[in-house]
Amino acid sequence: MSETFSDIDLEAYLDEALPPESMSRIEAAARGDESLLRRLSGINARRDAGSHSLGEIWRRNRLSCPSRADLGSCLLGVAAEELEEYARFHLTVIGCRYCQANWDDLEKAQREAGEASASRRKKYFQSSAGYLKK
Amino acid sequence: MSLPTQSDTLLVGRIRDGQPDAWSELIDRFEGRLLAFVESRLRNRAASEDVVQESFIGFLTSLPNYDTTRPLEGYLFSIAAHKLTDHMRREGRRPTLPLASGSTSPAEWDLPSPQRAASSIARSGERRRLESTALVDAIGAQLRRWREQGDWEKIKCVELLFVRGLANKVAAQKLSISEQTVANHKFDFLAKLRAMIKQHNLPQDVFPELYESPE
Repeated sequence: MSETFSDIDLEAYLDEALPPESMSRIEAAARGDESLLRRLSGINARRDAGSHSLGEIWRRNRLSCPSRADLGSCLLGVAAEELEEYARFHLTVIGCRYCQANWDDLEKAQREAGEASASRRKKYFQSSAGYLKK
Repeated sequence: MSLPTQSDTLLVGRIRDGQPDAWSELIDRFEGRLLAFVESRLRNRAASEDVVQESFIGFLTSLPNYDTTRPLEGYLFSIAAHKLTDHMRREGRRPTLPLASGSTSPAEWDLPSPQRAASSIARSGERRRLESTALVDAIGAQLRRWREQGDWEKIKCVELLFVRGLANKVAAQKLSISEQTVANHKFDFLAKLRAMIKQHNLPQDVFPELYESPE
């Protein structure tokens, strides 16, 4: 089973950076596959030893992600055609979780009335403000 | 690429001073995208809100370690990923890894993890950061150049190869171009990165991918 996942897939899995369906696929496979668990463990060991790969660095630093403003322009249909096409590719083919989260949030903000999100934000604020520096 | 904005830096400064309105502003700005990120995995609104709540608390408790030269959004996403992983482990949805450290904390951010040996971080952190910065600068410069030239096909191609890890043949199919064109883009990209990395005098074995055959 484990040979179906590349090291790059597994690195992204450990960073919680793959699309949800790919994350679930790896989790399901790892449950019954000792060799896959050992590969994942080996990647952690390599990272702990201080080594890193081109793909990891690219993904963590989001070097090819469109900006949130670019995504907003695409959503509003005012972005240049090439940028819009690239953003679609980045979301659907590359499957960038962070950009997808931004996209979903922007899309929701267009739809949602402010009331529900305001009460949620108030809850976050009230539960965490005690940790602010006094 | 997401860079730290001046407004993010100022906002973090105000939060460090303990200003509640600044903290409220950060929550307003980022909670929606963090919730979307977590909920895409958990498919459970209440549990996702709990994880986001833990992430915000995690941000405040780790604030003394936050480096404001790094993008704020990326830092928040990495905390959320860490909290999400912990949640899924507790729920039994994410397998616990044997041996090694089992850490899933993004090393780039050096988030505190009880399973990662502190000496390991201290020993390798500075060297790793220098290597990473050199590569980030090199890739960023090349992608910017291609973007300015409208070479979107090249950007898509190297992204498929190095971020998704696809073979040349599969990348060619996805982009409806020939395998030879993929190999040419890969050769061009790696040659430019090597030239830029060389200026930092990094040994070849740090990033062996840069010396791969383009075929």
